[in-house]
Amino acid sequence: MLKKSLTKRQLGLLLFIGGVIGFIGIIGIDVLDVGREGGIGPAQRIALGLMVALALIGLTLIPMKDTPA
Amino acid sequence: MIQAAAKTENTQSALISVNRILMAAALVILFFYFVVYVVYAANLIQFPFDYDQGEGFELVDTILFSQGKWPYLDTNVYPFYSSNYPPLFHVIAAPFVWFFGPAYWYGRLLGFLGTLVTAWAIGYAVYRDGQHKLVAILSGLAFLASNTVYHIGPLFRQHMSMVMFEMLAVLMLAHANEIVDKQKRRRAFIAGIVFIIAAGYTKQLAYATAIAALAFLFIRNPRRGIISALILALVGGAIFVGINVATNGQWWLQTVAANVNDFYPDQTMGLFRLWFGLHGFLLIPAVLYVIYEFYFDRLSIYSLWFVAATANSILSGKWGAGDSYFATAIAAMCVLSGLFAARTLTGQWHFAPNYLTRFLINPFRRFAPLLMSAGFVIIPLLYIGYGRAVLHMPTTGAVFEPLSQILGIEANARNGFYDSAGRIAGGYADIGHLTTQADIDGGNAIVDLVKSTDKPVLSEEAAFNLLAGKEVITNPTQLLNLANNESYDGSALIAMIENQEFGLIVLRAQFYPPAILRAIGDAYSHEEEVAMNGFNYIILRPK
Repeated sequence: MLKKSLTKRQLGLLLFIGGVIGFIGIIGIDVLDVGREGGIGPAQRIALGLMVALALIGLTLIPMKDTPA
Repeated sequence: MIQAAAKTENTQSALISVNRILMAAALVILFFYFVVYVVYAANLIQFPFDYDQGEGFELVDTILFSQGKWPYLDTNVYPFYSSNYPPLFHVIAAPFVWFFGPAYWYGRLLGFLGTLVTAWAIGYAVYRDGQHKLVAILSGLAFLASNTVYHIGPLFRQHMSMVMFEMLAVLMLAHANEIVDKQKRRRAFIAGIVFIIAAGYTKQLAYATAIAALAFLFIRNPRRGIISALILALVGGAIFVGINVATNGQWWLQTVAANVNDFYPDQTMGLFRLWFGLHGFLLIPAVLYVIYEFYFDRLSIYSLWFVAATANSILSGKWGAGDSYFATAIAAMCVLSGLFAARTLTGQWHFAPNYLTRFLINPFRRFAPLLMSAGFVIIPLLYIGYGRAVLHMPTTGAVFEPLSQILGIEANARNGFYDSAGRIAGGYADIGHLTTQADIDGGNAIVDLVKSTDKPVLSEEAAFNLLAGKEVITNPTQLLNLANNESYDGSALIAMIENQEFGLIVLRAQFYPPAILRAIGDAYSHEEEVAMNGFNYIILRPK
């Protein structure tokens, strides 16, 4: 299995999961470190946007089934 | 029927003629930028002083390596010097010090040659996958025509050597999986990984290319991807730990911890807008090609590289960063736009059947011949449009002055230079102009002043001390990096300034930590200013 190329569906799932985990992780910085000033900063906002984009691209790839990625 | 066929043939023939004329025009325009680039490089290679801020300290790193010493030193101990850059570029340049002594020309020559190698590799990648010679040449020239590449290519800086190693890495790995012969395949993988490590040890920013390359290898063959990642981590990590041990932890402090600088989102936004304004004609086809590969074909390493490099360009908003952070994305853009152009001109678009093909492609299939014909005109126009967007050239001299009058452009940058970027974004390199004899005279005047004192001299640029035969003291921007990260003491240097132990201080951008600048202001007085290279160098003497 590890010698075969990923499919578009598998890649989509990976991107979706990565995007969601990344999003939660970035939000989590403020939850865990509540003493931080200024809330969600500009760099965090950019990173959150990238994570959302990653998850959305992942979702659109999932219906592509077993086409090699 | 015969008449209709003849008419179609005539139209086709006319289209091909128009395509050839427009492609020739695009080639002439982009070749013109290559000539401008060579003129600029030849001019800088002969200039014996700092042209861009910080070049001299890269030369100091090179000198230290040539003496078998590390440049990652404790900045609280005299001469308070350290570097924040990885070693490879300086190690490559070090043998030149043995033969020619301290000089700027060989570092600039290496940088310039590195961009030529990158341009060649871009052209080769496009030709290998696209099978269109002229588009391949245009793609390589488009890279050299970029304002960003032009600015920093012939500098004594490591950035473009990093881009060269990155490009060579993706070129080696792009088709490594398809090599049938096991030995050859292994060699291609090893070469690709070696180039990635070389890029990373030329400049830290190459981590994005490493991520893209490993993601590509994982997608194509997870087992090979994991093995490659392990080898990369093992070799890269061993070198990292080795240098850190050899420098008593200064490697980590100076190249990693001190590089966490403030982020200015407005600078990033401005540079992204500028990037699109200058490169939009090729960015659009590059992005379309990425989308095509994501949904209708297999993903290439070039697409992943472009995405990773573009995302990495967000860091251009850091203090001390700038448009050079887009150089890798520009190289990837040139490859992808070239592949887009080649596919269009050779009619090689294939759309795998899926839910998107049904809605977005199939309804328009009947227009395919029309789109194909339009492509013959649009593709060369994209390169011509790009050529217009990146317009940059000197506006003085026997050739460039009359040409700039014909084009109706006037200098809008230093020393008689026109740059379509217009210097509107913070972080955009304020360079590109040619140096003059007056600049060399100004530099020599400062060297004479440095020679005139028996005491050490604190100079914001290294060249004056090096040419005067004096020791280079501190690397101001690195002191500032450390101070911004609360990792700088500075008391020993401040004490020397307060005791007026420096016979002369030379300032330009005043990139020292505020405490150092305050001490200078208290103990030294502004004596005179010397103009060089469009900047006024402030000469200070003890009060």
